[in-house]
Amino acid sequence: MTATIGYTQLRNVGTASKKLTAGLPPVTVILSFAVVLLVILWSLVPGFFTSFSPVTGDTASKLAAPSAAHWFGTDYLGRDQYARVVYGTASSVTSALVAVLIGLVVGSIIGLASGFRGGWLDSILGRFVDVLLAIPGFLLAVVIVSSLGFQTINAAIATGVSAVAVFARLMRAEVMRVRSATYVEASYLEGGNRLHALLGHILPNAYRSVLVLAVLQFGTSILIIASLAFLGYGDPPPASDWGLLVASGKTYVTAPWLVYAPALVIVVTVLSVNRISRWLRKAK
Amino acid sequence: MTLNTKDRNVSADLLTVHGLSIAYGPTAVVHDVSFSVAKGESLALIGESGSGKSTIAKAILRLLPHGEATATGRVALNGQDVLALPEKHFRPLRGRELGFIPQDPASALNPVRTIGAQAHEAAALLGETDPTVRRAKILDVLEQVGLPDPARVYDSYPHQLSGGMLQRVLIALTVLPRPALIVADEPTSALDVTVQKLILDMLTELRRELDISLLLITHDLAIAAERADSLVVLKDGSVQESGPSLEVFASPTTDYARSLQADVPALHPDRYRNQRITLTEANHLEEAHDGASRTQAVASPTAGPQIDVQGVTKRFSAGGKDVLACDGVSFSVERGRTHALVGESGSGKTTAVRLLLGLEQPDAGEITVAGQSTSGRSRSDVREIRRHLQLVYQNPFTSLDPTWRVGRIVREPLDEFGVGTKAERAQRVREALEAVGLPSDVASRRPAHLSGGQRQRVAIARALVVRPDVVVLDEPTSALDVSVQAGILELLSKLQRELGLTYLFVSHDLALVRQVADTLSVLRRGQVVEDGPVEEIFHRPQHPYTRALLEAIPLAAVASEPAADQQLAKATA
Amino acid sequence: MTSDYKRFALTRAGQAVVVVLLAYVLTFLVISVLPGDAITNTLRDPQHGLSEEEIQRIVAFYGLDQPVIVQLLLSLGRFLTGELGFSLQSNLPVSQIVGDALPSTLTLATSALLIAIVFAVVIAYGAQYLPGKWAAIVRSIPSFFLSVPNFVIGLVLIEFFAFRLHSFTTTDPNSPVATLFAAITLAIPVSAPLAEVLIASLDHESRQEYALVARSRGLTEARLFAKHLVKPSALPSVAMVALIVGELLGGSVITETIFGRDGIGTVVQKAVTGEDQPVLQAVVSLSAVVFVAVNLVADLASPLLDPRVKLREKVGA
Repeated sequence: MTATIGYTQLRNVGTASKKLTAGLPPVTVILSFAVVLLVILWSLVPGFFTSFSPVTGDTASKLAAPSAAHWFGTDYLGRDQYARVVYGTASSVTSALVAVLIGLVVGSIIGLASGFRGGWLDSILGRFVDVLLAIPGFLLAVVIVSSLGFQTINAAIATGVSAVAVFARLMRAEVMRVRSATYVEASYLEGGNRLHALLGHILPNAYRSVLVLAVLQFGTSILIIASLAFLGYGDPPPASDWGLLVASGKTYVTAPWLVYAPALVIVVTVLSVNRISRWLRKAK
Repeated sequence: MTLNTKDRNVSADLLTVHGLSIAYGPTAVVHDVSFSVAKGESLALIGESGSGKSTIAKAILRLLPHGEATATGRVALNGQDVLALPEKHFRPLRGRELGFIPQDPASALNPVRTIGAQAHEAAALLGETDPTVRRAKILDVLEQVGLPDPARVYDSYPHQLSGGMLQRVLIALTVLPRPALIVADEPTSALDVTVQKLILDMLTELRRELDISLLLITHDLAIAAERADSLVVLKDGSVQESGPSLEVFASPTTDYARSLQADVPALHPDRYRNQRITLTEANHLEEAHDGASRTQAVASPTAGPQIDVQGVTKRFSAGGKDVLACDGVSFSVERGRTHALVGESGSGKTTAVRLLLGLEQPDAGEITVAGQSTSGRSRSDVREIRRHLQLVYQNPFTSLDPTWRVGRIVREPLDEFGVGTKAERAQRVREALEAVGLPSDVASRRPAHLSGGQRQRVAIARALVVRPDVVVLDEPTSALDVSVQAGILELLSKLQRELGLTYLFVSHDLALVRQVADTLSVLRRGQVVEDGPVEEIFHRPQHPYTRALLEAIPLAAVASEPAADQQLAKATA
Repeated sequence: MTSDYKRFALTRAGQAVVVVLLAYVLTFLVISVLPGDAITNTLRDPQHGLSEEEIQRIVAFYGLDQPVIVQLLLSLGRFLTGELGFSLQSNLPVSQIVGDALPSTLTLATSALLIAIVFAVVIAYGAQYLPGKWAAIVRSIPSFFLSVPNFVIGLVLIEFFAFRLHSFTTTDPNSPVATLFAAITLAIPVSAPLAEVLIASLDHESRQEYALVARSRGLTEARLFAKHLVKPSALPSVAMVALIVGELLGGSVITETIFGRDGIGTVVQKAVTGEDQPVLQAVVSLSAVVFVAVNLVADLASPLLDPRVKLREKVGA
């Protein structure tokens, strides 16, 4: 409850919000969704998109430039680079998904408890989040992978752990913002208890920002996992994680497509994910 | 309809607006508006939200968002068309010829710089380069606007000063370069009523001394009539009516202006009288029916007041300082009556209400609702009491969960208190929505799609759905347009009569309170300075603070005309 | 200095110390999750060529035959006294390894930070003051920067400027030009969040009522920017710069590898592939110390930048 509120201040807050344009989202957003959809399909049914094998190749046609037969050219073993990219999508993208889920679920729980309970729990969890934040994300990921073993799934777990801090902070901020909203206090006056306030009011109003962050983190995770793979911390060859493809391709200076093709795929995918995230943020 | 500019001596006009139209992209927000302000004169632009009054003010100062808005027409300052000027030539006029006083003083000053540092910008317009001379002039003008310690204010940051002081500072800075015309955009809406009067008085005084014209933007017809020489009534971007203010005010010619005038609480203290049971009527009825109640919802047959607050005290400690929010506050409300708590910011009325609702616990004193005490109870006990005691919040834009649909919002108390079956609850929600005058299809919509008035009706429906005995109304209409306000107050009066509700009405607006309350308590700095029946207080105020509040009502003189008194006498005969 | 500020500073400093200690513990626990006798496996690996005597000395030094808790406490004790241990691969003192590698990384990180700040300020200024279409393009630059992995940026820059244009050679990674390009590679992803914070701040501040009032006094946009918009935007920007330091430390691993520099990043690479725990532990812990220290400075500066910052911690109600 408040005492004197400026008349026109409230006016500007309250006018019925503009409806989302009844038409379609902007072209770039539609394209972005298409790209993401394609990438997801690559990871689920790679065999559908290429008939070549990612692990065995025809050494006779090694290091061939991109052509109609080999869209992305071939590598030093004559393997079709396009097929390698497509088959590498599963681990590159699914692992990013795992990373985001870890960060989202663990981070949200921490943030929820911190923001809702407050007090000593907030202090303790706050310190824990500070610690996760203090260790540079990439270094933490490197350390975790070196402990668990060089596999892409471990890289995913590592990326997820370093994302927990970001999600926890956001969820905590959102929960604290909503907690002090008038309609939450009103629900107590109407006989609601704290659990009802949490599940019925706080979560539905807090999750939107967190979801936008999750999409953004999906893109970031793809980049981090690709970087870890680049350094050799992901699945070893003959796996074809995107990052690993770039790493192994850079030694073949005469065949730049070995680097550019997977690099381009990474950039376009993450660009699309970021575009979607920005659109979601505006549409909130 | 335009002012008859041909009849006037055009060369005496400082500002002439002719055929001004403003559009944001394809949407036109201001249509063909014309008016003029003579030298030394003041003109008020009146309108509700969406009337375009602020947009016009910004257009005159050419402060509309660049590239988003297009303004066509003619705006002449001393005969020179300023809309057509290139920015480079117009900019020197800003501040020097045209001054601007914004609405919210708290956000009108850069929070990370001292007052003094920002004042130098205004002082620079004088053309004075010597900083010591500038500082002297700044301190001078700060004193002129009535600030007691100009040097301290000079060194302070905005958040260290009160709203009233900040507005004085802003007026000082605007007046310093001696502009010919000041545009004031709702300069007092964010301030307490008594402060409002002081600021407006000070502004009038300054204007007279320095011969400055004023273009006043406001939603308050009474203030406009009291402070401006002429006024222009705007609705949806077009001029409805214009002329000398007292003329328009006394006898408006258009329907819209008439309805605006009808909504001024100070002029129509008896507006809802036939809707409510007056004290005398109720006394007659009680005698006639020998104590049996006429009303439908009978709670408990306890004798004595419905709400009884005795000697309640509450102290808060904020940032090392102790604040005595409530100091021995006492009041009581009989069943079926409306009691008002009147006070400005810091009066303790909000704290008193929170204590009543059990949202805070008092340090001392007793609070009883329908015979049951709310202080010192366990959480589940307090919850039980809340079935009979509901609250309608001031701000309908934040008291409803934006992610919920209206039907669920109104049903929430029934769900949480576990009242009835699912079908019964749906039925009660339907009845509640109908009682507040909302169509039944509103139940499936979200609050974002409703207007302010509609949202407040939803809030009222939510409060009533559990059939409480007491409803606390915390400034239920101050966030709404004046025309919407009347509808809500009428609804509240009607419901009180039908359902035998007891109201505790909190407000800062004495004139409004006179329309709706039977008894009232005036609070100041946590203490009750005066209380009693409403008419008593209005005709024979005892405490100087009460008198100050009464005097601060715009057109207070008009309101206490003998004519109004006669009407009053007739009604209570 | 008011007593409120002193109390604030002490509380924050205390929290910082706690965080550093906890970070050390966390790192230790993560590193020591290695299965079984992996450490002794590393030691006994004939490639490292350590004699039995040396191995025993190392085992005793680190308490490798004792329970984890004891090892942790020993390790922590040593860290607090500045003793960072010895590399398992080369038997050199870790402090020496880190000391040798530090200058290269410091040069790289500092230049990258400066370049990132410059990028961010230019982008933010452009986003505010360029005409419509250009402003929209500039606003989408940070998002683009965040979409390109830094190893791709590095490889592209090398391809272009080293191999095509011969601006520098990869054989001399410490030359000024090579360092410049390495710094740009590191700066690009890091400048994006800073640019976004600046853009959001400037947007927010220029829409405030006081900006309108200042304009009504005839202020030009340039003066408005300098006098009114910069200072309130300073607080969130400084906080973001402090957070970016972490990204710089992490990104240096890849950047140094690509550009062939001999810095901390390369040290980390070697330590990971060689499973050299003491080195890893030391580097990660020191990074945490740097991060916490920088953020502490930013925290302590915040009341000075914005007088509204409350110095007392309010308990969540």
